[in-house]
Amino acid sequence: MKSQNLVGEIVSKPYKYGFVTDIETEKISKGLTEEVVRQISAKKKEPQFLLDFRLKAYKHWLTMTEPNWAELGYKKLNYQDIIYYAAPRDNEKKASLDEVDPKLLETFDKLGIPLTEQKRLSNVAVDAVFDSVSIATTYKEKLAEHGVVFCSITEAVAEYPELIEQYLGSVVPLNDNFFATLNSAVFSDGSFVFIPKGIDCPMELSSYFRINSGDIGQFERTLIIAEESSSVSYLEGCTAPMFDTNTLHAAVVEIVVLDDASVKYSTVQNWYSGDENGVGGIYNFVTKRGHCRGVRSKISWSQVETGSAITWKYPSCILQGEDSVGEFYSVALTNHLQKADTGTKMIHVGPRTKSTIVSKGISAGKSLNSYRGLVQIGPKAIGSKNYSQCDSMLIGDNAAANTFPYIRSQNPSSCIEHEASTCRISEDKLFYLQSRGIGFEEAVSMIVSGFCRDVFNQLPMEFAAEADKLLALKLEGSVG
Amino acid sequence: MINSNSELILEISDLHAQVEGQKILNGVDLQIRSGEIHALMGRNGSGKSTLSKVLAGHPAYKVTNGKVLYRGEDLLGFEPEERARLGLFLGFQYPVEIPGVSNIEFLRVSTNSRRKQLGEEELDIFSFEDFVDSRLKLVQMNPSFLERSVNEGFSGGEKKRNEILQMALLEPILSILDETDSGLDIDALRIVAGGVNQLTNQDNATLLITHYQRLLDEIKPDFVHVMSSGRILRTGGSELARELEDSGYEWIENELPKTGES
Amino acid sequence: MDRERITKDGRKLKMSLQETKLWESLSEPRGPLASIQLSARESLKSRGMPAASEETWRLTDFQLLESILHLPLSSSASESNCSSVFDMPSPPTEGFRLMLSPGSEPLGLESLPKGFNLLNSEELKEVLGKALEHCGSNEDWSVGLNNSCVDNVLALRVEGIDLPSLELVISGKDGEFSATRVILLVEKNTHLNFLQVLLGAFNSAHSHLIEIHLAENASLNHEWLAFGGGKSSFLSHIAVEQQPKSDYSFTSIQKGWLFSRFEPCLVQVNGQASTKFRGLQIADSNEQIATNSTIRFDGPEGDLDQLHKGIAAGTSHSIFNGCIEVPQPAQRTSAAQLSRNLLLSNRSRVDTKPELKIVADDVRCTHGATVTELQEEQLFYMRSRGIEQIAAANLLLRGYCQEIISSLPMSFDRWKVLEHVLEGLRG
Repeated sequence: MKSQNLVGEIVSKPYKYGFVTDIETEKISKGLTEEVVRQISAKKKEPQFLLDFRLKAYKHWLTMTEPNWAELGYKKLNYQDIIYYAAPRDNEKKASLDEVDPKLLETFDKLGIPLTEQKRLSNVAVDAVFDSVSIATTYKEKLAEHGVVFCSITEAVAEYPELIEQYLGSVVPLNDNFFATLNSAVFSDGSFVFIPKGIDCPMELSSYFRINSGDIGQFERTLIIAEESSSVSYLEGCTAPMFDTNTLHAAVVEIVVLDDASVKYSTVQNWYSGDENGVGGIYNFVTKRGHCRGVRSKISWSQVETGSAITWKYPSCILQGEDSVGEFYSVALTNHLQKADTGTKMIHVGPRTKSTIVSKGISAGKSLNSYRGLVQIGPKAIGSKNYSQCDSMLIGDNAAANTFPYIRSQNPSSCIEHEASTCRISEDKLFYLQSRGIGFEEAVSMIVSGFCRDVFNQLPMEFAAEADKLLALKLEGSVG
Repeated sequence: MINSNSELILEISDLHAQVEGQKILNGVDLQIRSGEIHALMGRNGSGKSTLSKVLAGHPAYKVTNGKVLYRGEDLLGFEPEERARLGLFLGFQYPVEIPGVSNIEFLRVSTNSRRKQLGEEELDIFSFEDFVDSRLKLVQMNPSFLERSVNEGFSGGEKKRNEILQMALLEPILSILDETDSGLDIDALRIVAGGVNQLTNQDNATLLITHYQRLLDEIKPDFVHVMSSGRILRTGGSELARELEDSGYEWIENELPKTGES
Repeated sequence: MDRERITKDGRKLKMSLQETKLWESLSEPRGPLASIQLSARESLKSRGMPAASEETWRLTDFQLLESILHLPLSSSASESNCSSVFDMPSPPTEGFRLMLSPGSEPLGLESLPKGFNLLNSEELKEVLGKALEHCGSNEDWSVGLNNSCVDNVLALRVEGIDLPSLELVISGKDGEFSATRVILLVEKNTHLNFLQVLLGAFNSAHSHLIEIHLAENASLNHEWLAFGGGKSSFLSHIAVEQQPKSDYSFTSIQKGWLFSRFEPCLVQVNGQASTKFRGLQIADSNEQIATNSTIRFDGPEGDLDQLHKGIAAGTSHSIFNGCIEVPQPAQRTSAAQLSRNLLLSNRSRVDTKPELKIVADDVRCTHGATVTELQEEQLFYMRSRGIEQIAAANLLLRGYCQEIISSLPMSFDRWKVLEHVLEGLRG
């Protein structure tokens, strides 16, 4: 049998989404002041309550210090050197796609997300966000027939201010953490989803985030509300051009789920990860949290994280409603000098709540891939259950994999089980596949993909194939 | 062996039960007299195992209607351990593994609880060992299993033999054997069946829950009941089991329910 | 003494009253460890008390920790009064017993059996603090506290075959805070059975530090019984250094402390060694019992099998943090860690965090954790065999503890471990 250097160093394929769209952009000046916060709010013609929300967050943010507990060791950001708002010059959202700048449509075409009616994806409604603004949302009318609202958060502020006022900051309070608070002060755009009582959303909803400018921070804000007995599946995708500076992406996602409703939130994150020497790349510091308020409500997070220089993200569930269910399925692949610190928090508050965590970390190159998770069962969460499984796969002997499961129980009638393992690609498996005529690289990617199968199975069909390809691409030409 | 004057051990009438909010039993009627061997057959999910759990008093199963008399007393009013002491024995389909608790210790505490109920003398460690030895032969079990933790690391067949050993020690009046044949090869099946045959007599009764004819080739039932959707659809003699083996369950399920001829 | 400290980065910080008290109660450095005392006090002062912001102290009940510092430091003059909780059994037949009492000369040592020798001061200088350094625990607060207070060390070298087993008994003193330190060198091809018994008195606090070196081919069976009583507290740190082909089997029991923090640290300096950890901790009433174990492999082909069990009853809090580090040189390491926890009451609490930090790719590491009550299916199985609910629960509890206690060949019978462990526990 061949020696261990069979699985040698990995060189990933060039990042194919690294182009820049040449479009005239309106930016406000660098730095963060109260005036900048007011400017953003004014540009978006926001009502007073939202300006107050932003200002309160900004003032609180000034009192906070940047966290340093995650094992990430990154260069501190200069928050006065970031542009907090950038938009294509002509940024009035168009009633019809025909009026949208063709350059923008072309950009999304190149990203594989065509928006025009002839080419758009069937059965997936897309909200396309370019730098700080949403440029188009497809299938809006069709969704409206079912009473489903899917639009940019800016439009939602204008059209449904009462929903925004009621729910914004109700899951992730404006003083939650350093990056969420920053987001609350300066968030630009993002998606808003409202599924009315009793409706199963007739199509997949998808937001696609594109950072184009090199020196801006992207602070999108997503709010999803599922009323009683409704359901929706929402997808999120992201890319950015290659720049040799680090761009900050500090998003906040809030989900509220009422009685018997369910929300499935899937992410395929492929922000630019920097080059093989760790220069450039996105800092992806994201706060995602869902609140299962209603009885028998359910939130399912699935994520495939392959991009960003640094990822710091813990999609969480507060399981408050009786018999509510939280799920987290994650694949995180890191290569070169990427660092990912990701996991979930399952906070069991109500009785008979259940959570499942399946996390698959793959680290190659000199990257660091950590699972960090919290399972907490409170005194009232009688008869609750958690099952966690966290597996790591190491490729090459310079990659690191950490597992930090925090487990707390205050309820004897509940049951928590955590399992974790670390392995590498077994030579036996490789040999078996190769002896059946399968090429080495293909064999590696088959094994990696098999390792991730439990998570891919949770993704919507279109995305699962996409994720598989993405992983194969990252590993291609890499081994041996 | 059938003698309608013999003691009525179990009398189930219109039993309804549910688990985790799901209705499983929908009106079971069944009578078992001493000296009788009954077989309960049916597809997966028909309610066979639920019936056994309800009779043994598993706390997760809620009886919503009906009654069960065991030797004239209200069985449902008793705790699981009281039922065991009164001579009701459940042989588990999946015997639980209990790490750290030694098998012999467990068997001794259990046996003594039954003996106490019967007004017999409790056995100390040494006399219990002799007593176990005499019963081990019945199931051809290696004494080394006594020193291990309860069922821990036992193979499927070893677990089932351990169940029959417990039956031999507790000398029950009514034994309910839930899929005791599942997972056994033919040799193990003969040993288990042989053990059961030696333990049955005119004063006790047995309820066999099974999928297959092959156990009934080894232990001859006096009655065969077919269960479906939480009720007993049909009752017959041992020839009924053979018909099922040949033609499956559909022909019964398609007929109008007939019950309680015993 | 002023109530401010100058931190390493030059900032002034106010000290808590308790901490000030501690520094006031310390006597002048003296004895063979005087210089260590001095430097430890300096660095401890600038470090300050542990805080919740430090990961390894995150869940600590600081009120309980500080209350230790209320007690006056025991002086060498005072008589050791053995805990009343225990009737001391007779020493092992195939071995001998040492009683270690804080402050005083370790023992009348002329009578040590063949194979056991005290280190002279030169030898001591060479090994003192080495295992701590290799384990990376020199900067730990509990180590600093012990170093600041302790003024004598029992340093033993053990060598030979067919050695008698060693039993070391240490008792806290009522109303006092005491500290002890031990170094044990187990030389090549030596096998030793070593039992440590640590007993708390009614209102005692004790700090214990032990460094253990296992040379090549050495093997050590280390049993550790820490039984508190009343309002006693216990801070203990173990630093173990294992050379290749050595074999270390460690089994610990902790029960009866109002506050106990236990820090076993082990490093396999060149891998290729075998380590087995078994731990059982029982927290009842309002106690907080914590174990923070750290195991690192600095070379290839090391092996670890760790099982830690916790029981929380009453309004207690049981904590386990277990870290396994497998850096790049540690190829072909095989490590398994399991944390099992039982919650017996709905006012008790369990926190567990089994951590893996891995940089080597050719390794087999698994870990797991469970928090449950007694299993309903197991209870039902026993009840269906006529065993009463309470008796069944007790049998299960017994079985749960037995799995750990069965690896205490030296102490199991003589110290009636199972009885002590189960006493007062209700399923």
